[in-house]
Parts: sequence; C-alpha cells; structure tokens
Amino acid sequence: MKPQTINFRSKASQTMGDEEVQQAIEHVYTGFFKGRLVAAADTPDWEELRTKGKAIKDHTIAHLDYYLGLLADNVEKNGGSVFFAEDAEEARKHIIDLAHARNIKTVIKSKSMVSEEMALAESLNDEGIETVETDLGEYIIQLANETPYHLIAPAVHKSRKEVAELLDDDFKEGDRVPDATELTMMAREKLRGVFERADMSVTGVNFAVAESGSIALVTNEGNGRMSTTVPRVHVAVMGMEKIIPSIQDLSTMLRILIRSATGQRISTYVTMVNGARKPDEEEGPEEFHLVIMNNGRQKLLADPQMRESLNCIRCGACLNACPVYRKVGGHAYGWVYPGPIGAIVTPVMTGLKDASNLPAASSLCGACHDACPVKINIPRMLLELRYRSAEGSTDSAERTSSASERFVWKSWRIGMMGRKRFDYGAKLARLILRPLARNGWLRKSPPPISGWTSTRDFPLIAAGSLRSRLAKRRKKAKS
Amino acid sequence: MTDRAKFIASVTSSLGRSEVLSPSEEAADASTAVFENADTAKANADRAMSDASERSDTLTAQMAAMAATNGWKVHRAGNPEDAADLIASICEQKGAKSVLRSNHDVLSQIGVDSAVTNTGATLGVTEHDGENSEANIQDAKSAAFTADIGITGVDYAIAETGTVVLHPRSGLSRLVSLAPPTHIAVLRSGEVLDSLDELFAMERNDYLSGDLAGSMNLISGPSKTADIEGTTVTGIHGPLEVHLIILENG
Repeated sequence: MKPQTINFRSKASQTMGDEEVQQAIEHVYTGFFKGRLVAAADTPDWEELRTKGKAIKDHTIAHLDYYLGLLADNVEKNGGSVFFAEDAEEARKHIIDLAHARNIKTVIKSKSMVSEEMALAESLNDEGIETVETDLGEYIIQLANETPYHLIAPAVHKSRKEVAELLDDDFKEGDRVPDATELTMMAREKLRGVFERADMSVTGVNFAVAESGSIALVTNEGNGRMSTTVPRVHVAVMGMEKIIPSIQDLSTMLRILIRSATGQRISTYVTMVNGARKPDEEEGPEEFHLVIMNNGRQKLLADPQMRESLNCIRCGACLNACPVYRKVGGHAYGWVYPGPIGAIVTPVMTGLKDASNLPAASSLCGACHDACPVKINIPRMLLELRYRSAEGSTDSAERTSSASERFVWKSWRIGMMGRKRFDYGAKLARLILRPLARNGWLRKSPPPISGWTSTRDFPLIAAGSLRSRLAKRRKKAKS
Repeated sequence: MTDRAKFIASVTSSLGRSEVLSPSEEAADASTAVFENADTAKANADRAMSDASERSDTLTAQMAAMAATNGWKVHRAGNPEDAADLIASICEQKGAKSVLRSNHDVLSQIGVDSAVTNTGATLGVTEHDGENSEANIQDAKSAAFTADIGITGVDYAIAETGTVVLHPRSGLSRLVSLAPPTHIAVLRSGEVLDSLDELFAMERNDYLSGDLAGSMNLISGPSKTADIEGTTVTGIHGPLEVHLIILENG
C-alpha cells in the first residue's frame, strides 16, 4: 500500500466535517474503550498481567534473531514451509507465485494488517484469482473499495444504510434500512458459498510460538477457523515482531490482547495451528506456509528510541483511547496503521518527512500509554519524532524544517543567551512590529508573521523591559 | 547466503550485534516460560489435571456460569438419559433433518444415535476411513455444510473463560463444530480446567513429550460480529446457536 501520509490535514478535516462518520466512530469509545475499562477492573491481577506481557515482549524483541530462527526451524519440523520476505513486494510476489503454482481459483482472506501492507487482496484479484475478505468489516470495506478504518473494527465508520447499499443489490433509496442482524445474515449467505469453494486461505497471525512453530489466531466470527479448515493451502502472514517464545506465554498474551481489544474475557474462537493437517484427519489444509515480513520493521528495531513499538500486539486500545483518532478517523493517518501506534510506526517505516503531521496530531495526554496492554510509552516516542522532524535530525528525508526556519530559531537562541543581545532584540522586534499594530495588538500582518496572526492575535512587545522600567523608577525615587 | 540467513543477519545487526545471542544465558530473570524444562512442564500439567478432578464441583459451576455469559445455552443433565433427552428435544425444536456428530466416547455412552434418529433426523458420524482421497474430503465437507446440527464431546473446558476445547483429529472433524448452524457440546464434569494457564501448561507438556495435536480450537459461545454499527449479532460464519450439556458425574 502506498503511503498517503502527506494528506493528513485534508483527510482529517474531511472526517471532522462529516457528522455521520463522527457519530459512527464514537462507538470505539462507548463500546471498546469502556469495555476495556470494565474488563480490566474485573481482572484482579490486571497490572501484573500487563507487566508480564511487556516483559515477554521485551525479552523476545531483544532476542528476535534467535527466536526467528527457532520459529522457522519448528514450523519446518511440523511440515510447514517458511518464507522470509524483506519487503511487501517480495511477500506479495511469493504468495502470488504460490497461488499460480497450486492452480488456485479462490482465496479467502482473514483480517491481517500485514496483508494490507502488501495490498494482497487487490493484487491477487488483479491476477485473476478471486480473493474475498471474510471478516465482515473487511468484506464491507472490500465492497466499498476502501482501506480499514481501525485495527479491529475496519468498517466502524460505515452506517447501516451504506452497508445495505453494498450488500444488497436490490436496495434502493427510500427503502427500509435493514437492521444489523438482517445485514449480517445477508453477508453470511454470500460468504458461505465462497468458503465452500475456496482452495487457498490467507490469514494473519496474532502470535507465533517459537518453541513449537505454532500460530494462534483470534476471531469472533469464525472466519479464522474456516480458513484453517476448508482450503487445500493455508498461508499465514506475519510481521517479524509477532513472536512469543513459549506455548505457556499464550495464556498471558491472549488475556491482555482480547480484553484490550474488545473488553471480552476471551474471543469466541482461538485457533492454534501447528502445521498442516495430520494424516489421520479428514479435513484441513494439506499445506501450511508461513510468510515472515520485515518491510521496514528493522528501522524500528535498530532505533533504541523506537524499538519498544515492536512490542505492539495490535489490539487497537490506543486508538479507542485517543481523543485525536476519535475525531480525525482512521483514514487520515494515510497508511496501514492508524492512531497513536500508527503515528510512530508509519513515520519510521514509510518516512518521517511526509508523515510529520502524524506525531504532531496528539495532545500528549497519555491515554494511549495508560491503555496499552504492554505498556508502550507512546507519548515519549511521539515527542522524539517531533523533535527529529523539527530539528533533531540532519537527514533531509526526516527533517521538515526549512533552512530559513532553522536560521530564525538559531538566531532566537543566540539572542536569548545574553542580556544585551536580548534587550537589543526586543527593541528591534518592537521597531518592526509597531507599524503593524493597532491598539497594542497585531491582528493582521504580512508573511511570515501571518502564519501566527491568521488564526490568533499577538500582543505588541512592551516599550521597555521590566528591568529598564524598574531602573527608571528607582532613579525617579532617588531624585 | 539464503534468504533466511540474510534476513536474520540483518535483524542481528539491527540489534547491534555481530552474531545471534542465545537467550538461555539470562534465563533466570526472563518472564517467559520457554526456559522451564520438561519436568516442570510435566508437574504443571499433572497439577492441572488433578486440580480439575479435585475441584470438579466448583470448576463445573464456574464453567456453567461463565459459559452462559458467553452465549452458550447451558443445560445440566444428571444422567446419560437426561442428556440424550436434551439432545433429542433440541433436534426437535430446530426441526433438524440432518445431524452430524463426532465419535467422542461420551456420545456413544449417552446413546446419542438413537435419540437423534428417533426424532426422524438422519445421523452422520465424522469417522475417517484412513483414505484422504479428494472425494472423501469433498464428502466430509458437504456433509458438514448441509448438516443442521453438529454434536461433539469436548476435550476440556476452561472455567475462567467459559470455553470448550477441541483438538481436531481422526473422528473429530474441524467442521462439525463450525459449519452447522447449531452446535451441541457435551461436557463431563471433571473435564473442567481452572484457567488458560492450566490449558497451555498441558499443551506445552504435550509438545515437549512429542504429543502436540495438529491444531486446537477454543470455542466460547456462538459466532459473533459487531462490525455493523457496533451492534453485536450472533452467527456470522459459525453456529448461530450453541448448547452446552453438562453431564454430572460423567
């Protein structure tokens, strides 16, 4: 997927002006955010679980090279094959080639953000291989030809009427809008046929267990189970950070993931897959393929300030908690990962310069840090990225400030560092600004000062500093 | 260099190292269970099992309560005859024409077959004749997609989450608990584990002793979605209705 991060402002304003969408995304707060709070309060050792989850991920990421090797060995021991993809292009090509080689006609896709990085469904369809998203939200998004709005609720911004227009070919303006149950049953009917004829599935991976070569999939709908049951070939795609070391670690990780995502104690289905079908089973895929993708994650890994972001388990809790996400919506972030965590991984993975508005779009209130099940310090990283984008970086691909802007700030810094320089600077500023001021206020001004005065007034600098006025007074008192 | 070696080498260098560092050296302070040896894993698994039988009554009661909050329709059966009656009445109530069941022991023990066929429904059993021919696979698939009800036993249940655990294998197809619109699971008291910790302790022990199943499904209620306007609807891809029959002293 090509990043559109440069359009943050225009996309954000568009969403903020859309009353219907504003109402729809409020659900992430009333539903998911509050649900998570209740679930956390109902879990007596919640804080210990978060601490443990963070420790497991810290340990895994610190030894990611070792665990990647262990995972690949064990998937192969289970009879599966592993493909390491440096970038999305390699991963996409591998999967398309595999589909052609196996003469695949129909692919069912489960929700996977990593596959969005590859724009996989679109590419497979372009190759003439029917590829259908099976998560209901993703299915709606696919019909609408859009990208997901949220990590776990991709179609949260769509109203029932819009869904009806997409699902029901006979739906006309003015018809009674079907309720959510009727719409869901329409989708069930349509997708059943697809499940029955599918010969390949592509799923994501919630956790890959290194010691046993297993993958765990969490779904409420059951499409993950269909994907690991019906087709001949199962392809699971994962970002390289999705590893945990031990089967036993799953209990902690599942608890924090699911409670943080939807507020449930557990999702309806958790499926653990240890390779292809066993010889004595009557169904299940004959082949299991695991695709492990880097695609810029190593930039996060190599950067000590940003490495922590690889602990993310993609629950979406930071999105639901974020007052900015809830206003600007998921599409404003311009790439696969929206919200506070997206404002970190997107700029680093796709380039900070175009994405510099992402880390800026935060009040640094810290709600994301509080909500994160693995305690990722998102505000710290947002600040770091702001710093790099403004002046901290010397890399022209990261820095957004212009040479003249940096010159002004440098002069400011020098000017502020000595008494005489400060007084002189203040006098100069007053001289320049006085002709523009009316009644002591600057309300309109030419560029570059207009950058300030177009939205706010600026007070005229006082005639003299406090010190000079005090000195005058003292003189007067003496005389 | 292979793709794999190149990939891992770049991860190693991103971590600021020149070669892969095996983590076992700092096992002492790691929070992951990966360093626990086979003896500890076995002791954990044994404890989980003995806990399940010693605290059977408490855990079964907790399971029944949690399952109900997940959307299972929970029934208690005092003896095998009651369980068979319950199954027959669900078949009647759903007007089931075709029923599919796994070959779990508990199902033959309660005499499911006659109970179902007496309602007039046809009954299929997901048995496997050892031949993976394309025709066999297609038959199994279409049997599951056309069945009105699927009946299974359970391998374990989890009290913490109201979950039923199934390991697909010969005689227990993956689809029988998924494709039919109604699923009935029969649980014997004494098969209820305390929490996810106990389940994964047992899975880990299975893995270390070379007995890990090909896959595992945790099922906690009917298939659900809230993807349209945040309204929860049951039955998107899996069953719309799930019944849990708890057989006492089974």
